Amino acid sequence: MARNLTGLKIRALRRDRKLAQGELARRVGISASYLNLIERDKRAIAGGLVDRIAAELGVERSDLDGVAERRVVASLEEIAADPELASGGGHPGPAEDLVGRNPAWAALVLRLYQAWLDQNQAVLALADRLNRDPFLGDSVHRMLTNVTSIRAAAEILEADDALTPADRRRFRSIVATDAQKLSGTAHALLEFFNSAHMRVRSATPAEHVDAFILATDNYFPELEAVAADFLAADRTPDAAKEKLPDASSRFPPEATVAERFETRRFRLLKQALQPVVAEPIQALVQSHAALVSEESRTLATAALAAYAAAAVLMPYEHFLEAAERWRYDLDALSRLFGVSYEQAAHRLATLHRPGAEGVRFAFMRTDASGYVTKRLPLPRLPLPRYGNACPLWAIHAAFQNPGVSARGFGELPSGEQFLFFARAVEKRPSSAAAPRHLLSVMLACAAEDAGRVVYGDGIDLGKAMAPIGTICRLCPREACGHRQEAPLIT
Amino acid sequence: MGKARILIAEDEQNIVESLSFILNRAGFDVDTATDGTEALDRVRRLPFSALVLDIMLPGMNGFDVLRAIRSDQKLAALPVIVLTAKGQAGDRRMAEAIGASAFITKPFSNAEVVAHVSRLAGGVGGR
Repeated sequence: MARNLTGLKIRALRRDRKLAQGELARRVGISASYLNLIERDKRAIAGGLVDRIAAELGVERSDLDGVAERRVVASLEEIAADPELASGGGHPGPAEDLVGRNPAWAALVLRLYQAWLDQNQAVLALADRLNRDPFLGDSVHRMLTNVTSIRAAAEILEADDALTPADRRRFRSIVATDAQKLSGTAHALLEFFNSAHMRVRSATPAEHVDAFILATDNYFPELEAVAADFLAADRTPDAAKEKLPDASSRFPPEATVAERFETRRFRLLKQALQPVVAEPIQALVQSHAALVSEESRTLATAALAAYAAAAVLMPYEHFLEAAERWRYDLDALSRLFGVSYEQAAHRLATLHRPGAEGVRFAFMRTDASGYVTKRLPLPRLPLPRYGNACPLWAIHAAFQNPGVSARGFGELPSGEQFLFFARAVEKRPSSAAAPRHLLSVMLACAAEDAGRVVYGDGIDLGKAMAPIGTICRLCPREACGHRQEAPLIT
Repeated sequence: MGKARILIAEDEQNIVESLSFILNRAGFDVDTATDGTEALDRVRRLPFSALVLDIMLPGMNGFDVLRAIRSDQKLAALPVIVLTAKGQAGDRRMAEAIGASAFITKPFSNAEVVAHVSRLAGGVGGR
C-alpha cells in the first residue's frame, strides 16, 4: 500500500523555509505534536488544514497532495522489482522516504534507470542489426571460408616436407588467392562500417513515444475533456454518425480501396475533431521531455488524435462501466459502441483515470510475420520492439484461427504472471484480388486480474501457467524447445 | 581390404583441394561433391565409410542432405562429420538434432579433420 506523501512534503518545505515545527503548527492553529504526527504520516490530514498549511508555506494545495510524487514512487518501486537490478539484494525500503526527503535524488535515479533501459535497447538494436544484415552475414561467411582455406593450405605447406614441386605451387597459389579474397572482403566490411547508414541511434522516435506514453500512463485528461465537450455539443459529423450500412454496401468491390465501416467512421471523426484537438495535442507534445525529435512529436500527435477519436466513440465512464459489466468482453464492447475489435481493445488500454481505473492492460499488434506495428507496454511486461516476441505468446497462435480468441496464462522468467488473449482481425475487407491483410491484436493483464476478465474463464490457473519469455535473446530459459537464438546474457 | 572411402561435400574448391590432399595422405580414398544433390546421389550409389558435409551447400543444403541420409534405412548408420562456422551455435544444435556424428568448426586444423575421420571411418582400410 502506497503511503501518503503529504507529511513528508510538508516537512521538506517547512525545513526549506527554516520554519520550526512549533511555529508552523501555531500559525495553522494545531498543536506541534499533531503536526509532528502529520509530518511522519501517522495522521491523515483534512482538506481545510492542507489549504492552511499550503498558504503558510506559500505553495499550491496541489503541490502538497502528492499526485506527481506517487507516480515517481510507483516508478521507483518498478526499479526495485526489476529482476536484473534487484539480484536478491532485498527490497531497499519504502520509496516514499526517498521521494519525500530528497525528490531531486529520486528524479535522478529515475533518469538513470531510463538511460540504462535506453542503452539496453540500443545494444539489442545493434545486435539485431548485426545479426540480420545480409551483407554482414555474407561477409562473415566469406571471410571464414577464406580463412579456413588459407589455414588448411598453410598447414599442408608447413607440415609436409615431401610435397612435390607441383603440390607446393598449388597450395601456395591457394594461400595467395584466398588471402587476396580475404583482404577484399575485409576492405568492403570497413567501408560498410564507415558508411553513414551504419550509425545506430540510442533510441528511435518510436521509443521516445513509448517513453511519453509510459510517463503519461497512456491517459490524457485534457483529451478526455475535449471529447466530452465535443459529444455534449453533438458536433459529430453526419458521416461519422452513420449507422452500420447493409451488407451490400459494407464491402465495396474495389479491393485496394476497401475500408471497413468502423475504420472509415474513425477516420472521419478524427478529421472532424481536428479543429478542437489540435491545440491541446500540440501543448501535450511540445511540453513533454520525452519527445525530443520532430519525428517523435509527429508520431505522438497522430497517436493522440486517435486517442481523442476513441474517447468520443467510447466515452470514458460509459466504456468503463460497460467493460466492468461485460467483464472486458471485446465482442460485447465492440457491438455496444459500434467500434472494431481493435478500437475497443486499444481503448481498454487507456482506462487509467486515477480513482476510476479499469484493469490495466498491455496492448500489442503484429502482422503475420511477427512485425510489431503497435504497442503499449505495461511496466512489468516489456513488449519487444526489436526481434519477435516469444513464440509462445497468444499473439502468434491467433493467426492459426483468425477471428477466434487465442488465450493463455504465461509466467515470465522474472516470475511475473500474465493472462494473454489475442485475435487475428482483418485490417480491411478481403477480396479474391488481394491477399488477406490480417493483424493480430493482443491484450495482456496481470494474472491476479484474470478473474475480472472473461478471457480468463475456464482456465485452471494452477495447471495452465506456461513458462514463457519476452524474446529469445533476452530469455534465460536455455532448455526451451522453442529457442531460436542463444541468449545474449547467460 | 581396400582403403576406407570418404566423400567430401563442400563447394569451396580450395578447401576441397586441401581436405582431399590431407585425407589422401592419411591413407583414405577421397571422392568429392560440390553441391547437396550431388552428395546425396553419390552416397546412395557408392559405399562410403564417412561423409564430410558442409552446411552451406548450394541447392540442397547440408541439413537437408543429412535429413535425407538419416531417413534412408540403408544410409542411416553412415558417419557424417558436419562442417559448421564458428559462432553458429544454432547450426550446430540443428545438425545435432538431425543426427550428425561429429562437428568440425571452421576454420579447422587439418589434424582435427584427420582425427575425426579416422575415428569414425574406422581408420585406414577399416571398412
